[in-house]
Amino acid sequence: MSLKRITKELNDLGRDPPTSCSAGPVGDDLYHWQASIMGPPDSPYAGGVFFLSIHFPTDYPFKPPKISFTTKIYHPNINANGNICLDILKDQWSPALTISKVLLSICSLLTDANPDDPLVPEIAHIYKTDRSKYEATAKEWTKKYAV
Amino acid sequence: MSRKATVDEQIGSVTDPRDYRKTVIPELQDIDTLLRCNICKGFLKTPVLTPCGHTFCSLCIREYLNREQKCPLCLAELRESMLKSEFLVNEIAASYTKLRPKLLEFLNVEKGHQTQPVEDSSCMEIEHHLASSDRSISRINEENGDGDDDDIQIIETRENRPSKRPADAIFASAKKSRKESPQSGITSLFNRAKSPALHQPKLADCPICGKSFPVEVLQRTHLDECLSKEALDKPEDISSSPVTVKPALNPVSKELPTIEQPDFVSTTHYNRYLESTSNGSVTRLAKINFSSTSLQQLKQKLSSLKLPTAGSRQQMINRYNHYEMLWNSNYIDSIDPVDESELRRRLASWESNHNASDIPSKSGFISKFLIKNPMKDFKTDRFDRKGWAQAHQRAFRRLIREAKTSLKKSKKATSEHAGSLEQEDSTHLNQSVSSDLSAVPSNQLVARKDNITTCSQGSSET
Repeated sequence: MSLKRITKELNDLGRDPPTSCSAGPVGDDLYHWQASIMGPPDSPYAGGVFFLSIHFPTDYPFKPPKISFTTKIYHPNINANGNICLDILKDQWSPALTISKVLLSICSLLTDANPDDPLVPEIAHIYKTDRSKYEATAKEWTKKYAV
Repeated sequence: MSRKATVDEQIGSVTDPRDYRKTVIPELQDIDTLLRCNICKGFLKTPVLTPCGHTFCSLCIREYLNREQKCPLCLAELRESMLKSEFLVNEIAASYTKLRPKLLEFLNVEKGHQTQPVEDSSCMEIEHHLASSDRSISRINEENGDGDDDDIQIIETRENRPSKRPADAIFASAKKSRKESPQSGITSLFNRAKSPALHQPKLADCPICGKSFPVEVLQRTHLDECLSKEALDKPEDISSSPVTVKPALNPVSKELPTIEQPDFVSTTHYNRYLESTSNGSVTRLAKINFSSTSLQQLKQKLSSLKLPTAGSRQQMINRYNHYEMLWNSNYIDSIDPVDESELRRRLASWESNHNASDIPSKSGFISKFLIKNPMKDFKTDRFDRKGWAQAHQRAFRRLIREAKTSLKKSKKATSEHAGSLEQEDSTHLNQSVSSDLSAVPSNQLVARKDNITTCSQGSSET
């Protein structure tokens, strides 16, 4: 079941790639993918390319895929290990969701961070109190690690 | 490359609603999507309806409800007992799935008819012509859902004929029939059954089979075809699709054997639907509260269902849970339940697959690596990502850098040139990474090498 569904999603992505995202398997292991997201133009991450690793559990789509950034990124909801704090990757996961939709959600998380449910409280604090400083640091990190 | 081929092969076997995009009726995409389950993305199998109005495969939703008690689409609260089977949707999906390949083949503009590669191009041109230069007629096709039209009739008769004819001749006839009376398409669609006389000026009866054909087609090809067909005793009618057969034959005299064909297909599903009843005789298999069940009771329960009692307690629990799901899906939801021995066979095949996936050799290098490595919770939050990232920081950085340079190079160079560069890069990287990380198993390195090709391919797509 999981393999069939993952194959379908791969086929989907190949035919209809979502805007500014791409994803595909690493070698012949369909349970391990790599994805890239272009920094949204209306965000401090513009111009950067961010890589993510995707691991599908064997009982996918009943369990959410494990997605983490492999590129360093300065964001209140993404920590130093690349872990993403996104509800649909945890308790709000639904088997009706697809990798394509999840990648788009991550894209919109880059544009609109959620500082009220932070993974890195320090960044969230700066985001709330000194927005320009946050944007400057995010731009700097993007230049340093993602360009 | 062989590794890529296996992935491509798997993708090739996937059916997709977008298969209709390049056909004459791209709108069919919608129906194709609607008849799919949102969990497995395949066509609905034994569909069940939730109180919130959503439909899923019985097994898919039951398996999900074992974990989360909510609807995957609207997240409304949902329990297994609330599911209702949808026999009608079941039959619609089943009959559509059967029809799909024929429908696609008939409507496909780009691929044409794969079974007749010689005539591919001319078929394609005609259908192109249909779609582009004469909107009114192609619109009629769309509105009616099938290609019941004079032009298609010509394609069809040509298809049945083994001999070749220059494409211009077909073009000429196709254009002619349309130019003569632009309304003929519409009128023929609606009036053909009632008054075949409208077609008399254009049509003539075949003296052998008695069916009506355009005079030109009759003279040029049909007579020969009909004579050879007579000898073969009409095997072609059965082999070609009902959709394509129907328009070729006008309801004049000997329509019965061909009309019967499509009717037969639809009545099986219709009758199944009419005769469907809920299986009141077999009771639902109940869920067990395993925390208050002893091992002895569990074994008794399993043997009363004639299930094996081997394995650990957890394996037995999994076995019961899966069997309960199969049972309820089969006896409560299915329009056509199978017997218990078949259910046990399915359970056994599930169990062998399920247990096989725990064996490292069957599931890729990651789990192989994890078995060797103490860091077993690689995919959980307990895993020390920071340590991992630090340990392999150099390799990761190099990967990203290499990927980017290969992307830049490939943008500049021609596709062929870029391919060779990429290969150079990755071999170079493979060597350098292996010197950096001698501790990592070699298959891991192979995968990393692929990382680069994958991401550079991915980025160049966007």
